[in-house]
Amino acid sequence: MSVITRTVTRVVFPLILLTALALLFQGHNLPGGGFIAGVLTVAAFALVYIVNGLDYLQEDLLGRTGDDVEGGPAIVADFLNVFAVGLAIAAGGGVVAILLGQPFLSQAVVFLHDLPIFDDLELASAFVFDLGVYLVVVGGLLTILTVVGDE
Amino acid sequence: MSLVALPTAIAEASTTGQLGTGAATLAQATADPAGMALFAALALPFLGALVTPLVYRALGERTAWFAALVALASFGLVASQFGTTGSVSAEWIPTLGVSLSLYLDGLSLLISLLASGVGVLVFTYSAGYMHGEPGQARYYGTLLAFMGSMLGVALASDLIALFVFWELTSITSFGLIGHYRESESSLYAARKSMLITVSGGLFMLVGFVLLAFVSGDALGSTTFTLIGTPDSMIANADAMRTALESAGLFVPVLVLVAIGAAAKSAQVPLHVWLPNAMEAPTPVSAFLHSATMVKAGVYLIGRMRPLLVGDEWMLLLGTLGLLTMTVTALLAVGASDIKELLAYSTASHLGLITAGFGFANQLGAETGAFHILNHALFKATLFLVAGIIAHEAGTRAISELGGLRHDLPITGIVTAIAALGMAGVPPFNGFYSKELLFESAYEVAHELGGLAWLFPAVAVFGSVFTFLYSIRFLWLFMGEKPAGLGEVHRPSLALLAPPVVLAGLAMIVGIDPQLAVDTIVQSAFGSAVAGEAHTMSIHLPTELTPAVAMSAITILTGAALSPFYDRLRDGVRRLTHGPLSADWYYDKAVYGLEHVSGLALPRIQTGQFRTYAAWMLGVTSLLALAGYLAAGISVPAFSDLSITAPVVIVLLVAIVGAAAVARAPSHIAGVLTLSVLGFMVALFYVLASAPDLALTQLVVETLVLVIFLLVLDRLPAFYGDADRGKVARDALLAGGVGLTVTISVLVATAGSPDAIARFFVERAPVPAEHGSILADFGGGSNIVNVILVDFRAFDTMGEISVVAMAALGVLTLVAMRGRGESS
Repeated sequence: MSVITRTVTRVVFPLILLTALALLFQGHNLPGGGFIAGVLTVAAFALVYIVNGLDYLQEDLLGRTGDDVEGGPAIVADFLNVFAVGLAIAAGGGVVAILLGQPFLSQAVVFLHDLPIFDDLELASAFVFDLGVYLVVVGGLLTILTVVGDE
Repeated sequence: MSLVALPTAIAEASTTGQLGTGAATLAQATADPAGMALFAALALPFLGALVTPLVYRALGERTAWFAALVALASFGLVASQFGTTGSVSAEWIPTLGVSLSLYLDGLSLLISLLASGVGVLVFTYSAGYMHGEPGQARYYGTLLAFMGSMLGVALASDLIALFVFWELTSITSFGLIGHYRESESSLYAARKSMLITVSGGLFMLVGFVLLAFVSGDALGSTTFTLIGTPDSMIANADAMRTALESAGLFVPVLVLVAIGAAAKSAQVPLHVWLPNAMEAPTPVSAFLHSATMVKAGVYLIGRMRPLLVGDEWMLLLGTLGLLTMTVTALLAVGASDIKELLAYSTASHLGLITAGFGFANQLGAETGAFHILNHALFKATLFLVAGIIAHEAGTRAISELGGLRHDLPITGIVTAIAALGMAGVPPFNGFYSKELLFESAYEVAHELGGLAWLFPAVAVFGSVFTFLYSIRFLWLFMGEKPAGLGEVHRPSLALLAPPVVLAGLAMIVGIDPQLAVDTIVQSAFGSAVAGEAHTMSIHLPTELTPAVAMSAITILTGAALSPFYDRLRDGVRRLTHGPLSADWYYDKAVYGLEHVSGLALPRIQTGQFRTYAAWMLGVTSLLALAGYLAAGISVPAFSDLSITAPVVIVLLVAIVGAAAVARAPSHIAGVLTLSVLGFMVALFYVLASAPDLALTQLVVETLVLVIFLLVLDRLPAFYGDADRGKVARDALLAGGVGLTVTISVLVATAGSPDAIARFFVERAPVPAEHGSILADFGGGSNIVNVILVDFRAFDTMGEISVVAMAALGVLTLVAMRGRGESS
């Protein structure tokens, strides 16, 4: 890939990630949410992958070294962890509702007033679930992408 | 009838094995001890089956004694409830009105005592018989589970529970018949019995569902409870019958239930699985194919009798039973192997029981109830004897055996008692129930006249052959020992004791039938009649009645024909070849289907992605369209369709993009033009005020494009020219799929009630009155996201699990590919 592509990628990669995180955080009240944020994040990684190659993604960007695992490069083990943790967060958040005597996956919101900087802040328990969705999408799609791309 | 509803705790306790705590709960809940004992008797065999592998590790071959103890405990628990009648229940699927309720009365007591009692003897026998055989842990575990299922069939008062246990007996018997996994014929037999009995069970299930459906009209509310409560089906038999008849479902229900029972009880022409099932180890044959599993069918007939008995009932079951009795008795005469002879004879006696229950008079019910007991006693004995012969003489071929009384004197006496009972010779036990059959057949004929005289005639005709093969079996012990027969060993005590016990019981019934009647048969008979049952009185006849004359004719004709046994046998064998045997149809059907699927396979599974896609999409579209057609759904006319200029432009570009995909000369061009289509769809969402959808579409489209570019260099650069036929086919398929999707969307959107949308819209944002803290509503301004993470969070949970599974699937497939075919 040309120098221009590589340079542009270097610049847009953090921007895409930032956008993705913004979509994740604003999802409850504005267009966005865990799924879109997850797919966008994966798109960012895929861009780096195509432009700079797997080794760059694995060793320079994510700092992963080690032998290949069965079925794919070493980094796959981390991706597996990401979506496992995501599933655990999503399900665990639902279980908390049971502990509080509510049905599985019940959500609640709390408003904090008069905070510095933020002033009013909405804390929605649904964000925990959304975070789980985000991690599962990122981990799952990146696993597929890496394994298939490695073939 | 005492009715006790038990708390759920008891069912839970008995299924999890915490019997001690369950008993404590029970003592507080109710004073009636029956519930605890019944649930425990039912749960024990299953728990025993669960721990059998561990027990086998500790005890080895002595696991037989452990299993016998479990069976003995169940037997004791059931026997402790002797004399009680009533039902106990626990919630199972409350939303569907399905409960796990057990009901005990004479008939279920008889069947459960047979299942557990013969179980004890069979496990004892297995200790001797299975010595050194492979797969013993599996054997004992499955046999225990089978015994539990059989107890479940006998005790269930709910149709769903009955069906579940019914199919469990089929499944466990599949494992037992196929015990010798290396033997081809054993696997064939297991498959055959499974296919026939399970599919028979499915017919029965449809019948049950119809019954429940009708119960809604008859009883006011739909129920699956067959018996035991004031609002059960049998307690309201008259109302049920009226409702069934007015719905026109009486005959269908009768036929469906009869098919289920006939498949299980090996009635003609579904008897074909029983002789093959003799591939099982002999204790299994003695247990399943004489005393228990095959009795499930006649039990069902007896159980349903008060509900469905009538003219149609008699015509169907009386005829079926006598036909089975005669045909299989003939086949038994043609048998060349002692277990085969006993198998056909079992089917024949089950026919006798079916015919008895089939006759719509009280004598008929007496016949059925009494013969269930008699047949279990003499037939289990004979199977165990057959096992001893096979074990000690090393052969089961009738022609190679003879003169066994010299080497097996005790077995000989046992055989004499059982075989004469089977033949119906006084004063042995089978005589009394056969007398009852003759009496009831005569009564029916006398009442109806005309063709009904065939009933007693066929009964006598069939009984002649029963007499013949019974005597032939006894003859194994008489006469001279053939020269070819080697040394015959003495059986061990574990092998000998069970048949001696059974024959002893049969002898007691023969000497004092009234004792057996008073103990259990009277109450079992009472369960099978609608209304009040009269008191049975059974004793040796002292005067010449028509029934006695029929018995005399049977025995004399049988004795006169005995010298021609070999000729009869050869005649039967000549007849039962090709299209005249039911086996022929079974084999043709099964192998025919196998052949057809063998032909279809290479067309459907070519290993090419486009073939799979074509079949899947095409069939799905066809099914969906057929569904719409069958449901008579008309395509709704769409109104308020306003098309703005921007939408037209965007859609036009999308169409151009789609056309370009089809014409693209290379992959790269195809992928890029496909993206044009995708991005136009995203723009359309923007114009249609769906920002969330648009965002998702954009991001996904980008990612797909990237992934395509990643794999593109692995594909050939050019598709090649497709021939016209293929193009036409693909165009047709694409058109069909498009049509289906369009119709689906139109129908689905027209049908969606606005109420749901309003509900979500109203509740998604933060309602002002709730103030700062709320737990009940979504609490976000983006309704799409609130639906995803709150209202329908469970759905989303499932979807992300699918993503995770897809990732694992890809990883596994890629990882496995390197390992080759063998792994």
